[in-house]
Amino acid sequence: MDSLPEDQYEVVVENVKKSYDGKKLALDGISFHIKKGEIYGLLGKNGAGKSTTIKILTTLINFDSGTCNIAGYDLRKDSSKIRKIIGVVQQEESFDFTTVENNFKLAGMLWEVPKNIREERMEKLIDLFGLQEIRKKRMYDLSGGQKKRVQVAREFMHEMKVLFLDEPTVGLDPIMRRKILQYIREQAKNGLTILFTTQNLEEADMICDRIGIIDGGKIVEEGTSEELKLKFGTLRTVKITTQTNVEKYMNEIKERIKTVNYEDISFDENKILILGKNVDRKVGDVIGSLYEMGIEVENVSIENPTLDDVFMRVVER
Amino acid sequence: MRMPAFVRLTIRNIVVNIDPGTLIFMLGLPTLYLFVMGFMFQGINPNGGLVVQYHGIAIKYTTFLAPGIIALQAFTAGNIGGSMLWSDRRWGMFEQIMVGPFRRSEYLLGIIFVSIIFSLVGSAIMIGFALTIPVRFNITPAGIGLFILTMVVGTMLFSSIFLIISGIAKSMQAYNTITILLFFLLDFASTAFYPITNSTPGWLHVIAGGNPLSFISDILRESFISGVDYNSLYYSGILFIAMLIFFVLSLRVYKNIRSGI
Repeated sequence: MDSLPEDQYEVVVENVKKSYDGKKLALDGISFHIKKGEIYGLLGKNGAGKSTTIKILTTLINFDSGTCNIAGYDLRKDSSKIRKIIGVVQQEESFDFTTVENNFKLAGMLWEVPKNIREERMEKLIDLFGLQEIRKKRMYDLSGGQKKRVQVAREFMHEMKVLFLDEPTVGLDPIMRRKILQYIREQAKNGLTILFTTQNLEEADMICDRIGIIDGGKIVEEGTSEELKLKFGTLRTVKITTQTNVEKYMNEIKERIKTVNYEDISFDENKILILGKNVDRKVGDVIGSLYEMGIEVENVSIENPTLDDVFMRVVER
Repeated sequence: MRMPAFVRLTIRNIVVNIDPGTLIFMLGLPTLYLFVMGFMFQGINPNGGLVVQYHGIAIKYTTFLAPGIIALQAFTAGNIGGSMLWSDRRWGMFEQIMVGPFRRSEYLLGIIFVSIIFSLVGSAIMIGFALTIPVRFNITPAGIGLFILTMVVGTMLFSSIFLIISGIAKSMQAYNTITILLFFLLDFASTAFYPITNSTPGWLHVIAGGNPLSFISDILRESFISGVDYNSLYYSGILFIAMLIFFVLSLRVYKNIRSGI
């Protein structure tokens, strides 16, 4: 078995196609590469092909054409070798019908983690994921969020080269979500390669080194969060706070600033929200117009584009 | 030394399945049958208890019943084995294991092994309980050998049947309905609890006569009561062939279980 050199990509997906019924393509020639130690976020609407991609890469389902390589192993020829070096947190819940503690112990035993390391690692993960109080409870007595925490934590019982996380933070409270994302980030710093799917764009923005936006079974845009924002994020929001209730002047204000070429404008008591391409460059004109009308401006803020803006524009274009 | 994958899966299956519900199903129910049914039926005849004619030998009902209850362990362990696949599919562990360092065949071996372990341990406990009644068993090396072989083959047969159901059932309700129906049909339309006599209705004679639990019960009676002969080996052979047929069928169903869908 040939292995790719250490410094090359850990996950290589080239022109992969997959159809479940032989007619409609769930994946339509998807291609992307993930570097070692990189967190690659796969963003997409429901049914875009995120979970199908993960299921193919984790050897659960076959693909029709294309090539996939994980840590130098060909997915078609070496699926059993690949399963020894990956970790998977599935979107659906998965747990053994026993206690939280036993779930960790069994995962360690199944993955042949030496007993002394197993115990130590379990204690660390139980602490880290806030499972101390529920460690003796049976899994079916836990809430959805608690089960998810166990499911994510349990996956770190064994060593791996590539981790697949299919919407791992669904059902988690914001504090725990942040904690888990931080832990995932740390693991990537230690060399773990991660493919992460989510519909929460804020968290993708927070932890992913690169993001691929998947639509119709293929990657339609790819880059770092900043690159994507720069490419698609010319849409800005200017928020102006005045000392006057501007609602009654809205028609006159709209007329005076029509040269700004805004896409949308809204008024809320003493606030004006202007949305449009490059509207930030024309703030001076807007303030001048308001001044001419005798409206004093108290504060102006310009909001940068978010990944949400990018995502919406890419999938809706 | 590395532990083979199927052994690790067997250990996992034991840990996951040692819960009060499973233990009650596996041991509690047969124990109740043994003691409650045994003593109640035994008491039907106030003059010396109920006597059953078996292979020309007059034996107490409790002695007749005990091998049937031991045979039930093959059925319950097989049921537990098959249900493991269902449970793992239901709770996402089948897919989780399939993305781990295991092959499908190792997963299946894990289920078969744990069923056999449960069956042998359960039947040993039932023998222990039966001896406290007491029952009159004629224990010989050949009888013990045939008992172990029959329990292994019988457990594999029932495991295969329940694996097929686990593989084709589309919902929890469907799975539960089929297994409960089978439980009543196979348990009570068999010779585990009562002998087939001339007064048994013909249709019931056919059902009970073709029921694998009847085969196991009768082979165990020959192992423990009347002694091993060609007749017992003949029935063991039929049981073995039935097991092979269902095992092959279960492999086909198991192979077609799609993961990740």
